[in-house]
Amino acid sequence: MRTDYRPNRRRAMLVAATMLTALGLGGGHAASAAEKPLVIARDFDFNSLDPARAWCDSCQIYLTNTYQTLVRLAADNHTLLPGLAQKWESNADQTQFTFHLDPQAVFSDGSPIEAKDVKWSWQRLHNIKGGPSFMMDGVKSIETPDAHTVVVNMDNPNSEFLGILTASYTGVVNSDVAMAHGANDHADADKTDTAEAWFLAHSAGSGPYVLADYKPDDEVRFKANPHYTATKVGISEVVMKNTKDAVAQAQMLENGSADVAMQIDPDTAKSLPADKVTTEIVPSFNFVYVALSPGAKANKVKLTKQVREAFADALDYKGIIQFTVGGAGKPQPAPIPNGFPGTANLPVPHQDLAKARELLKAAGHPDGFSIDALFPNMNVYGVDLSLLMQKVQQDVARVGIKVNLQPVEFSVWRSHISGDGIPLTAVFYAPDYYGSGQYVQYFAMSEGTAWWKRAGGKVDPSITNPAEGKLLQKALASPESAKDGVYHQIALDMINDKIIMPLVSPSLVLAYGKSITGVRYSACCNLPIDEISRK
Amino acid sequence: MAMASTNAPAWRRPSWLTLPVAAGGLIILAWIIVALTVPLWTPYDPVMMAGRRLMPPSAAHWLGTDALGRDVLARTLWGARFSLTIAAAVISAAVVIGALLGALAGFLGGIVDGAIMRFADVTLSFPPILLAMAVTASLGPGMQNAAVAMIIVWWPVYARLMRAQVLTIKQREHVEAAVACGAPPARVLSKHVLPLCWSPILVNATMDFGQVVLLAASLSFIGLGASPPTPEWGQMISEGANRFYQWWIAFGPGMAILSIVLGFNFLGDGVRDLMDPRTQ
Amino acid sequence: MKRFILRRLVAMPFLVLGIVTAAFLISHATQGDPLISVLGDRQMDNPEVVAAAKARWGLDRPLPEQYLVYVRNLLTGDLGISIRTKQPVTRDLLVRLPATLELVIAAMIVGSGIGIALGVLAARFRDRPFDHFSRLFALIGSSLPVFWSGLILLFIFSVKVHWIPGPGRLDARTTPPDFVTGFYTVDSLIAGDFGKFLDALHHLALPALVLGWAVMGIISRMVRASMLDVLSQDYILAARARGAREARVLFHHALRNALIPTLTIIGFSFAYLITGAVLTETIFSWPGVGSYAVNAARNLDYPAIMGVTIVGGLAFLITNLITDIAYALADPRIDMK
Repeated sequence: MRTDYRPNRRRAMLVAATMLTALGLGGGHAASAAEKPLVIARDFDFNSLDPARAWCDSCQIYLTNTYQTLVRLAADNHTLLPGLAQKWESNADQTQFTFHLDPQAVFSDGSPIEAKDVKWSWQRLHNIKGGPSFMMDGVKSIETPDAHTVVVNMDNPNSEFLGILTASYTGVVNSDVAMAHGANDHADADKTDTAEAWFLAHSAGSGPYVLADYKPDDEVRFKANPHYTATKVGISEVVMKNTKDAVAQAQMLENGSADVAMQIDPDTAKSLPADKVTTEIVPSFNFVYVALSPGAKANKVKLTKQVREAFADALDYKGIIQFTVGGAGKPQPAPIPNGFPGTANLPVPHQDLAKARELLKAAGHPDGFSIDALFPNMNVYGVDLSLLMQKVQQDVARVGIKVNLQPVEFSVWRSHISGDGIPLTAVFYAPDYYGSGQYVQYFAMSEGTAWWKRAGGKVDPSITNPAEGKLLQKALASPESAKDGVYHQIALDMINDKIIMPLVSPSLVLAYGKSITGVRYSACCNLPIDEISRK
Repeated sequence: MAMASTNAPAWRRPSWLTLPVAAGGLIILAWIIVALTVPLWTPYDPVMMAGRRLMPPSAAHWLGTDALGRDVLARTLWGARFSLTIAAAVISAAVVIGALLGALAGFLGGIVDGAIMRFADVTLSFPPILLAMAVTASLGPGMQNAAVAMIIVWWPVYARLMRAQVLTIKQREHVEAAVACGAPPARVLSKHVLPLCWSPILVNATMDFGQVVLLAASLSFIGLGASPPTPEWGQMISEGANRFYQWWIAFGPGMAILSIVLGFNFLGDGVRDLMDPRTQ
Repeated sequence: MKRFILRRLVAMPFLVLGIVTAAFLISHATQGDPLISVLGDRQMDNPEVVAAAKARWGLDRPLPEQYLVYVRNLLTGDLGISIRTKQPVTRDLLVRLPATLELVIAAMIVGSGIGIALGVLAARFRDRPFDHFSRLFALIGSSLPVFWSGLILLFIFSVKVHWIPGPGRLDARTTPPDFVTGFYTVDSLIAGDFGKFLDALHHLALPALVLGWAVMGIISRMVRASMLDVLSQDYILAARARGAREARVLFHHALRNALIPTLTIIGFSFAYLITGAVLTETIFSWPGVGSYAVNAARNLDYPAIMGVTIVGGLAFLITNLITDIAYALADPRIDMK
């Protein structure tokens, strides 16, 4: 038992003082290694790292940098460049595609990339029945006449196929390594393949990086691929760090603990110090839209074409862009992103309150009506859907339409939209690959498309527009030069449907440290990391 | 023991009006008045746009404007209506349900006691916020569902309290006398037992008010409670969290929650001090 | 005493079953579909793909069968596979638990350390300004919404004055220390990396402070009350009469006896802290069980929701049991309110 306390107290205070000083001095704990790893701050939405199951924006970044595709998209987000395939041909009616692989290309373990790997990867992609499996829809057969030639036969003409192949989801997997760990490409792969767990810790591709470590909800670590055949990467170690919101990402950029952040909204970006962080605002191919579903059970009023037009006319398009993204966004007339085939010179929508009131009166609702709006309570691409819907609510209130807002979780929204339908909703879309066909297949009011079903095409045949379906077939069978014109026609029709109303294509804020260069946004691949380096 | 010197005050302060009780009571009273009267005197509508968006505090907007251009101070004051109403609803329902079940359990004993207490125990075994999250996630967001979740979380507290009280009172002489005289159980319960059990429950309920306000705000903050454009405090702080550099958006509702919960805590603290025999 | 403990222990398995059943019912009563996170929006329209996914996750079997399968697996320690992370839930929790424990224990240390000091001094200087100040400070701590105080302090200390680093447990570039306990502070000391230790401590400081402030109030009040009680005892008077130094009187004689009821409050606060951790983790991007729970609730990840609820409920049960036992032990000897 102690009898005198003074020495203890003094010692305690000394220790405390030391710790406080150390804390104060320990302000810069950055790695003192020769080359600092590149840190990318991002809000993780990984659902898997298995190339046949991964299906999310963060997954796109991961797959782009660990696997390679046969065809690449140039920096202009428009031109197709050789990838693993040095050259390719298609037959006249777009039903057969022949690819000639680069004989020098090797996987990350040094083994050569062969036609069998391409066939195996694509068959597995289809048979696993995961998120991206639809990309191999319509493929009748894949032949490998020799080790470096792949011939794909389609059921129907599909001029989009080359664009599809730029998507990182179609990357080529090292089939031997994957099979050794439980993967297979058989027709029942969805039941017999057991490799998903292995893929959570290993990548088996030929991309500029390999997966070093993955901690779910925390970080993904990449190491440079020693056998990468193209140009050497700028930075050999990369960390993607899970950072939930834009503000946290901005903070990390500001104090140097992150180098790149892609989800900062324009308002926050304005507060970043220009001497530490470079901010670039680039147009993106993502867009946010509202949709009216005449066939939804909860509709209190029949959503005829007149009513829908009135709704569309009441929206303050310019104001919406100002409110949601502080002006850093572009209007988008049709549900096909600006810059994709067919979108040149489309008529931009304007607010016309007088016309809206007129149309409502003609439709029998001079005092307006009320409508339920269920939507996911997410913040996507810088747009807070709650904020967006509140603005929409205020806009249409001016012509008497009372919107009843109900934000819900995305999964809940999903079961409503494919169940009873939702009268008014807001949601987003990002391109899966470079090509306009995907938008027509999703948004057009022809029988069988996703939104035709959701909007109630089965219940309310008046919304069906058979012309769009026929035009799509034409587009898929058209050569490159004629595609644009056909898609333009479809776009005009989709605008006229007044079911899907795109409100804003939010621009992307690329924010990165002053010493970083080479950051760019890609329509197919989100963020190619291999081009980034320190000055 | 040293005694602090006291100057006799100029007026006779009632013995129960200690500093914490007074402070707490004043704060709560102020908020209740605000909640009841705010529609009459705020210059700005809490839901509609009132000025340019994201403006810092100024003479026109004392707490600035939020991302949709709404006046933050007006929304903060209006928020009191929602928070106080929800808290009142949740506490009343939890007290009524809990006290009823607890009284039955304590009075009847046996299987009824066992069953009700098992239910209560299972509910109390969940960390409150996890249970509230799970229930709201499954029922869907919205203030009503959040209220239901909170009632589910809270009733066991009062059930236990009431049961303990009933068990004690049950053994008192006048109750045993009534039973011996052949009075029916319901009459014994309602006339002889229950009237003596209420005071600790009421004291606890008052003190729990603050905790309910906090839990409601927490649920809304996560996104499982109130939905926009309702000016609910937790929801507003969540919007403010996304707009860090515009600190005023979260400041108003945060201070509001702090002051109300502080008020209830003061009051509760003061009441507890008054009832503690040691400090008298 | 022994019968009391035995009775509680015997009731535990039934309570756990009750928790499991309640968790199962709640998570399956929901309106949403967890497969959206597996398949993505577009593929949800493809019935073949949806059927394959349902079969893979066992969601196509009738509800009672799913329940029985779950309970049977539970008995072997298998909590199922998280639909969101694709890892076994047990593994997810084990990986994340140290992060939450580190935060909670640090908050406990901060909260009780400052709380006890405040309580002792408040008792010593009873009714003087310090007493009132510490009472106010404590009350504010338990009235503050943790998610708001965290934001404000983060803003001031991280953005405005740059004293505190950004979110996360470590600087993003540093690799975490090798896993021994999962506590980055402890593990980096074990590995001998002092720089990493300071970095981890630096990141831990603010969240622990924010969370600890919440319990400082209860603890300091408890200590003050018991101290006041103890300080009026005869042996204190005797010690003072003997000429012992005030510090010795306070800490050696009084606090020791005042601590016993305080310990029960600390145990109770522990459970409360776990609740607060959920909100704190969200703000500070702390990859612990709390943020895992929020993500699970948002994505309707049934196995994860049930796993967290069951483990959380179990931990709660155990802490409550210990606290109740300690309370009962302390009861006959000390005059508790």
